[in-house]
Amino acid sequence: MNTLLSLTDNLQTFWHYTGFANAEAGHFIMILFGLVFIYLAITKEYEPLLLIPIGFGILVGNIPFNEAANLQVGIYEEGSVLNILYQGVVKGWYPPLIFLGIGAMTDFSALIANPKLILIGAAAQFGIFGAYIIALQMGFAPNEAGAIGIIGGADGPTAIFTTSKLAPHLLGAVAISAYSYMALVPVIQPPFMRLLTTKKERLIKMKIPRVVSQTEKVLFPIMGLLLTAFLVPSGLPLLGMLFFGNLLKESGVTRRLAETARGPLIDTITILLGFTVGASTQATTFLRMESIKVFAIGALSFVIATCTGILFVKIFNLILPKEKKINPLIGNAGVSAVPDAARISQTLGLEYDPSNYLLMHAMGPNVAGVIGSAVAAGILLGFLY
Amino acid sequence: MTPTVQTTLLIAGIGIVGIFIFMVLFYLMIIALDKYLPYQEEKPAEVYLSETEETEEEEIA
Repeated sequence: MNTLLSLTDNLQTFWHYTGFANAEAGHFIMILFGLVFIYLAITKEYEPLLLIPIGFGILVGNIPFNEAANLQVGIYEEGSVLNILYQGVVKGWYPPLIFLGIGAMTDFSALIANPKLILIGAAAQFGIFGAYIIALQMGFAPNEAGAIGIIGGADGPTAIFTTSKLAPHLLGAVAISAYSYMALVPVIQPPFMRLLTTKKERLIKMKIPRVVSQTEKVLFPIMGLLLTAFLVPSGLPLLGMLFFGNLLKESGVTRRLAETARGPLIDTITILLGFTVGASTQATTFLRMESIKVFAIGALSFVIATCTGILFVKIFNLILPKEKKINPLIGNAGVSAVPDAARISQTLGLEYDPSNYLLMHAMGPNVAGVIGSAVAAGILLGFLY
Repeated sequence: MTPTVQTTLLIAGIGIVGIFIFMVLFYLMIIALDKYLPYQEEKPAEVYLSETEETEEEEIA
């Protein structure tokens, strides 16, 4: 009889440790979110390199467990494996490493060949400051509004870096929002691109860009770094690494380092970043009204960035000579979702004229957007940190 | 207009103007690069060799 009672006690204790006994409705909602991310990544191929790690991270982060038992498995439990991996997000050292890889894979030739395109990358940053104003009006504190606003830059690492400094408690919501909308760029941008352009504008053919010398390519990251360091020192961790990676690529003598930065290193960090950001969305901390507001403002910021980029090109065209006019379909590429935003310009351009290839032109504002959003982050950090 | 709104607009204004100033400086930097270090088409090896020989002959003469 005693043995039977002891067995029942043990079974009861075991039951209290299981996920079933600790599950709440929120856990299942978040697990559903994770499954949707994985579904979108596999079937629609929306940013699979990000959505698979994030989606699976959401599943891992929302497995219910007995928190009182001190099992040290949760991402917010100090000393747990997940918590140690999450430090790269919290302390903000994953994003600069991602920027190193981005720099090593980015060709700035399109921008150097047609430098006026850099201004489109500046215009699209209205999305960041528009969202910042909206967030403040919706009752967020200035530092929180700054973190939410940066979603408009369409740059996951920049959003994570800025939020980890300004509002760490919003990290999960901001990161998930930024990456979700980046994945949905092919869905969000085209309707506004069609709405804001005339058929005549969509048919504008741009001049083939000039050839860029190797010396220019090598000097660009060095001079870019110096300009950044002196003007916006707070943007240095991101832009410094971006230009460093680019110099590794363009110098021609550090091929192995460049290949590591744009290959194994960026892949490793992407896995760790995506997975831990996903795991940080525990239902108890994520499912709040605040997160829904962040998502709503994030969507608005993407729309504002897309529209201001296109409208800027239209206004710019008023002062440009006929042979130098810019196709406004590349205005959307001012956001830094590289290269998806540029690909959308190309796809829409080809839809209206099968001989109008816009990709190389759109890459100019696209890489300018990377620089622009990092500068915007630096400015916000300078004011609000 | 409340002080919060004023501060918000000030930061947003400085931010967007700051980005444009930064980008214009970047633009000028690229223009300077193009002006002082323009692209020069690489000469085929034969042309380079013949030019070098000519220079050497001139120097000997």
